[in-house]
Amino acid sequence: MSDQNWESTKVIRAPGATEAPLLEVTDLITHFKTPRGVARAVDGVTFTLERGKTLGIVGESGSGKTVLSRSIMGLIEGKNVIRTGSVKFEGKEISSGEAIRHAWGTDMSMIFQDPMTALNPVMKAGKQITESLRKNLDMDKGEANDTAVALLKSVGIPSPEQRVKAYPHELSGGMRQRVMIAIALACGPKLLFADEPTTALDVTVQAQILDLLQEQQRERFMSVILVTHDLGVVAGRADEIMVMYAGQVVEKASARTLFADMRHPYTHSLLQSIPKLSDPSHTRLEAIPGRPPDIVNPPKGCKFAPRCKYAQDRCHEENPDLTEGPSGGHVYRCFYPVVGGSNGGGSTPIKLNGSGDSPVSSITPQEA
Amino acid sequence: MTEIVNSPASVIAAAGTSVNQAAVGMQPGNATEAEMAVDSEFVGNKLGIGFYLSGFWIAAISLAALFAPWLPIKPLEGLESLGERETAPSLTHFFGTNANGKDMFALCIWGARTSLIVGFASITLGMLTGGTIGIVAGFIGGVFDKVSSFIILLLLSIPALILAIFILQSIGNSLFWITITIAILSIPALARLARAQTLAFAEREFVTASRALGAKNGRVMVREILPNVLMPLLALALLAMAIAIVAEGTLSFLGLGAANSSDSWGKLIFAGTPQTLLKDSPWICFAPILMIFLTVLSLNYLGDQVRRRFDVQDIPL
Amino acid sequence: MSSFILKRLGLLVAVVFSVTLLTFLAVNLQGDPLVTLSGPVCETPIDPDFVDECIRLGEDFNLEDPLPIRYAKWVGGMATGNFGRSLVDRVPVSTIMRQRFPETLLLMAMAQFMALGIAIPWAVKAAQSNNGRFDKTSTTMSFAFIAVPAFALGPILIYLFVLTWEIFPASYDDANIGSRLFSLFLPALTLAFGLAAGYQRLLRTDLGATLQEDFILMAKAKGMSTRRIMWGHALRSSLFSIVTVFAINTGALVGGALVVETIFGITGMGGALAEAAIREDFTLVLAGVVVISTGFVVLNILADTLYAIIDPRVRND
Repeated sequence: MSDQNWESTKVIRAPGATEAPLLEVTDLITHFKTPRGVARAVDGVTFTLERGKTLGIVGESGSGKTVLSRSIMGLIEGKNVIRTGSVKFEGKEISSGEAIRHAWGTDMSMIFQDPMTALNPVMKAGKQITESLRKNLDMDKGEANDTAVALLKSVGIPSPEQRVKAYPHELSGGMRQRVMIAIALACGPKLLFADEPTTALDVTVQAQILDLLQEQQRERFMSVILVTHDLGVVAGRADEIMVMYAGQVVEKASARTLFADMRHPYTHSLLQSIPKLSDPSHTRLEAIPGRPPDIVNPPKGCKFAPRCKYAQDRCHEENPDLTEGPSGGHVYRCFYPVVGGSNGGGSTPIKLNGSGDSPVSSITPQEA
Repeated sequence: MTEIVNSPASVIAAAGTSVNQAAVGMQPGNATEAEMAVDSEFVGNKLGIGFYLSGFWIAAISLAALFAPWLPIKPLEGLESLGERETAPSLTHFFGTNANGKDMFALCIWGARTSLIVGFASITLGMLTGGTIGIVAGFIGGVFDKVSSFIILLLLSIPALILAIFILQSIGNSLFWITITIAILSIPALARLARAQTLAFAEREFVTASRALGAKNGRVMVREILPNVLMPLLALALLAMAIAIVAEGTLSFLGLGAANSSDSWGKLIFAGTPQTLLKDSPWICFAPILMIFLTVLSLNYLGDQVRRRFDVQDIPL
Repeated sequence: MSSFILKRLGLLVAVVFSVTLLTFLAVNLQGDPLVTLSGPVCETPIDPDFVDECIRLGEDFNLEDPLPIRYAKWVGGMATGNFGRSLVDRVPVSTIMRQRFPETLLLMAMAQFMALGIAIPWAVKAAQSNNGRFDKTSTTMSFAFIAVPAFALGPILIYLFVLTWEIFPASYDDANIGSRLFSLFLPALTLAFGLAAGYQRLLRTDLGATLQEDFILMAKAKGMSTRRIMWGHALRSSLFSIVTVFAINTGALVGGALVVETIFGITGMGGALAEAAIREDFTLVLAGVVVISTGFVVLNILADTLYAIIDPRVRND
């Protein structure tokens, strides 16, 4: 299964391309039964993801983005969970829990937001990598150890032979995140879920980590789902961007299209709320007023309507379906979309250069 | 300062949160709102069947103990007809008879009187004393707090049974003194809880409001603090009562029990332990064991339910 | 850290001082200390046969010295290992203690480790079932186990394993270490039941909390088996509370040992103490109280210190 390139980096590479999309999610619903009612965390999400491509999922806390990625991977199970819809990985339907366990670590894996809590505090860094290698790839101790060292090296950790024996609290935040990435990539997954990978890090380190992820992705021909609340993080790094609100997709488009022709008011607000270096000092930050809706008793009509400055009567009555935009693959969920950047906010579309791999995030400062 | 655990009860209490709550585990920053889905059975004030069974048993045994002299059970005296010694349980003798021919069922009910009285009285005394000490210490603080905290620490530093033996040995071992001893043993835990709860509440706004309106310390303590401290204290008291009953049983068992009253359950059990007796007529021993078991189980369960209802998580001891 | 230890040591001194002082006063202020200490034999008027004996005892107990000197001599004596003589059989108390303490310690050690051996797998299984049937029944069962006091469980176990099925010997066999361990099995089990139930609940709660942590989800997302996650990841982070309680329970277990030794006829310190209490062998009781209390306090301090060291907040910074 693994393409063993022992001479250079001993990194395991995901095997070659196939034609069908890697991941097909159709109308995925994940609801939770709570004492207050049914929490509709993910309420009908559809998308596809090809090999080697990156999907950026953007949304506030409570938008359902974290539940979405965990639900797709099958990590969410229990008798209070309602999960319907279809999730196909490499053409095969996957479910939750035991049935899909074999794929975890090997076909798909996940990195989490806070490396301090996501790493076992009483286990050495190296062991957290080798245990995965030994279980999933049946390596013996020596082999696993060597591979672990090579992995740490490939994620940019200096002196990997020493670091392999370190405990998480002995490492800096950035290094911990790199360790987590190493763990996730150890067995060469085809799909990586990166759940807010940079939120817990210093600004300077954020760009490095994102660069690292991109580099690994390229080398391994791996697909990545990058979940974040920060539009700036996915700019320039995602092939396609999906904006979520209250469990639903409110806009989805290729990155280029999205920034050139964004339609949904929420997407606009997200963009506008990013502070820009070019603004004069003491410019007021634009926040989106109000709070995310209650997912147990969501408001009638469009979920964003209560906070939307363009909302009309119809918006409060009916929830819009997804409409197709002019460019291929662009959908949005709005009756009165904002077209042509003419929304009185003075937003500057972010410039993308062709290759998409220049770190735009270094131009636009990250929001906290 | 970490809590010093001194007895099985404190281990129970230290286990703190109910299983359900722990399973959900409200960890900030980790659980999305969706992951806070709670097992629906826990939520709401549904009193399970356990509650009713426990309550029923406690009520039944208490009433039986109270009205023992008037109940239609076999009398304790004058029944020593030889033929009736050590008979197995039957319809005439529900729990059989003991070595002296006395009906075990009657003995158990009379035993309930002693055991329950000691249990109830000692803990009530403990609650009154300990609760007061705790509330005053928590509210007024100062020297009183320091001194009482030290004394409590002192009491907790001696293993309970040892202290009991000591007191009973040197002062006297009547029923009265057993009750006092157990009360003294219960004071530390109750006082600590009362104090901790008082400290938590004293900061709250309604207390400040009351004081702003001119209420004197005493009044505030009684009218504002006390009602809030009462419930958690009650939860602990129920558990403590179970322990008190066991403690009394242990003391009787060891022979330190009251020599001059009707046999408590502990005494009865002890009477049934000699191996010859145990082998041939186990009911002599098992009947009072069953009584103690059911009573302690019910009290434990009720105490736990009260605690869960009022969401007392860490009962500090 | 060192100030913390110093404070605790200060506490130790204070407690030992208070305990010895209290016992001393209790003995010496109750009528004629000679009578208290040596029994009714030396009550005036003294039987001429015993006059010499009583005078000698008076010297032994330093009754001519004023109270403070008496106290100092007494404590000094204890510090050097002189605990006086048993009033009943004239054997030096220190000899009795040296003979009998090891048995008790063996019993307590067995009980603790059996308890852990039962509790840990039990808690893990319950956590795995996570609110499922096993988990819920476990909670009920823990309640039941805790509700059965040692003096009740003992006879039941004896009835089953000694008398009916005849697996274990009827009396304590101290021929060699093997037979001792074997005869101690049932007594240790009696104590282990209650301990295990307490540990299980504590561990189950801690496990429940740990399992909510992110790193557990990450281990899962890596493809680790449930078994590996439980034993390799979750357990290690959940043992803190148990470790502390374990240390503390060791002290509290003395009381339980007392009861169990009486029931099973084990020649340990607990049994000796219980007998001494009944037979009013005051010197032995005193010695027992002081020694056990001191040991208990030391253990508590160790436990507190241990907790401060292991506490993850200290560790993970």
